Amino acid sequence: MILFSRLTGKIGLLAILLFTNLPVVLAEDDHSEIHDLMAHLLDPAAEAIWDSAGFVITEEGEFSLEPKNQEEWDKVLYGAKVISESAFLLSRPQISKNREEWIAVSGLLKVVGDKAFEAAEQQDVEELFRVGAELYQVCVACHQTYMTD
Amino acid sequence: MKNTLKIIAISFTLLLGASTYINAHHAFTAEFDPNAPINITGKVIKVEWINPHAWVHVEVKEAGKTTVWMVEGGTPNTLIRNGINKKTITPGTVIVVRGYQSKGKLCLPRCIANGRDVTFPDGSKVFMGSSGTGAPRDGSDPRERR
Repeated sequence: MILFSRLTGKIGLLAILLFTNLPVVLAEDDHSEIHDLMAHLLDPAAEAIWDSAGFVITEEGEFSLEPKNQEEWDKVLYGAKVISESAFLLSRPQISKNREEWIAVSGLLKVVGDKAFEAAEQQDVEELFRVGAELYQVCVACHQTYMTD
Repeated sequence: MKNTLKIIAISFTLLLGASTYINAHHAFTAEFDPNAPINITGKVIKVEWINPHAWVHVEVKEAGKTTVWMVEGGTPNTLIRNGINKKTITPGTVIVVRGYQSKGKLCLPRCIANGRDVTFPDGSKVFMGSSGTGAPRDGSDPRERR
């Protein structure tokens, strides 16, 4: 119940962000807001997923990166929900400029974010690792087309 | 129409979890110097199997000085498809990595390189990067030769 309330609160905050135009008013050729969305919203959310599944191997042995308690799992759940809801944020006309491919690739974030959320709910680390790779493919698919150095 | 087909292709691949991956990363030129090739010979001390890039930590002893290089590889899935897995690259293994240094080249705060291929003690050489990253076409990626 506490987890539900905490997540509901965070998702509520995200919903306010998503439905408010103020933070994402873009000048026609100004992509700095995109940079900020990536740097401060999507990147940390993706890192929360990537950092929660995998292994580190040293001479001392193999260590799993999986979350160790509910608080750490909550961070993954939050990251997954941010990824999922970012699809809507990135698809809005101010950002997407109604580009068909942009909107389609953005939509994949919802698919992958939902998969990550479900994996985190199930605390399924193997699935989270697999979805993490899938998330990277979505990122790269978009960056290859739209990102410049 | 062309875009629509591309979207369908990307979506189909991702949603069905097919094994065809988009092996690319936009950040090579942002992070690494294509004009700073390097050969790193040393002992593996740590391997991080994490997305979006696996990292191999190599301890290099040279002229009485010990340096640890963090070598970025492709995604774990890419490495596994290329024949590199948790059993083939283990701590203690002496390897030779061919790659490119980070733009700083000063090893501050640490030495970082992008790995292109890795040579194992038995002489076998395996591509350890990802295709289409913007890294120089140096012959290490078997797909480039097709």
